[in-house]
Amino acid sequence: MSKEKTIDELINILAVALRHKIGSIVNSNEIYAQKYSKDAEVLLKEARKTASSINWNSYDKTRIKKKLKIKLEEELRKKEFLDSRKFEIMDEEIGKALKELELV
Amino acid sequence: MEFVHKVSKGSRFNQIYVPKEMELVFEVGDLVEVKLLKKSMSLFLTGEVELSEFKENLIRDVFSFLGKFKEVKCAFFFGSFLTKKIEYNDIDLLIVTEKKSFDKIVYKEIIDKFNLKFHVISIPEEKFLELGEICPLTRSMLSQSVSNKKFKIPKKRIDKEHIEFLLMMPEDLMKIKTNSRVFYDNIRRLMVIERFLDYKEESQEDAEKEMTKSLGRISEKIKNNKEISEKEVEDIRKVIKNKLNRIRKKI
Repeated sequence: MSKEKTIDELINILAVALRHKIGSIVNSNEIYAQKYSKDAEVLLKEARKTASSINWNSYDKTRIKKKLKIKLEEELRKKEFLDSRKFEIMDEEIGKALKELELV
Repeated sequence: MEFVHKVSKGSRFNQIYVPKEMELVFEVGDLVEVKLLKKSMSLFLTGEVELSEFKENLIRDVFSFLGKFKEVKCAFFFGSFLTKKIEYNDIDLLIVTEKKSFDKIVYKEIIDKFNLKFHVISIPEEKFLELGEICPLTRSMLSQSVSNKKFKIPKKRIDKEHIEFLLMMPEDLMKIKTNSRVFYDNIRRLMVIERFLDYKEESQEDAEKEMTKSLGRISEKIKNNKEISEKEVEDIRKVIKNKLNRIRKKI
């Protein structure tokens, strides 16, 4: 798979994983919030597999971060049922996920 | 002199009778001290639940232990610990609390006390009552449960936003491939939601039968998190897509 395709795949999984994680945080009163937090972990594991297939340079890392922010914002906007605090914690969660995947 | 007796219900006050053979020892006007030796506890079973002696004793012990936390309003055992004889993974316990969640505190204390693999969820009472009405998964979970307080599943109410929240993961599985057990859990989730919307909430066993009917032998594979082929993923996604479409029409 080309680097561009890998980036797109990575962004897709990461955006979904982070949407679940953010959903579990902002809707923490739901019994199933814990389940969503686990779903997010499963998806992050998938993202890690994809991320580890390529050696990323700092230019790639910056692009991934930018693209991920745009994609995640779009994903969160579509999910109107998630509490509006979702946008407040978005940047922090992106930072944590990218650090975990060694993409910063 | 001493005697052990149960407290009985009186018309105005609860009472303890002096045994006949002791009426000359404990006379009217004598001063006595009453001490609680063992708390009486009733278990309330919802749905088809059969408890072995071991399970019943454990449940009683846990409920009695939870009695020391004044924040606990009521508690429920649910999940495979009740529905499976021995093949349960962990012991699911839902604790309804007065205000804030405090599962971390209880979790540590329960583990220290019982040394068993518990999965503790705590939820404020107000939210619990709401979820009892609107959440298909919570209702399904409680449809086979044991609690320490009398409980009746409330009348249902359809909340579109809540259903949307529950559909998030099944929808994502249309695009993302992950381990096969995740597919199993999410198809099951869709079945429970569909039954809720169709006013056909039944036992968890029925959901498993429907799963086998829809997916055939793939059902067993994904239940056990076995590797599945691209073709099988496609078949599973067809089932998910159909269910999503049917659910969307109903909300």
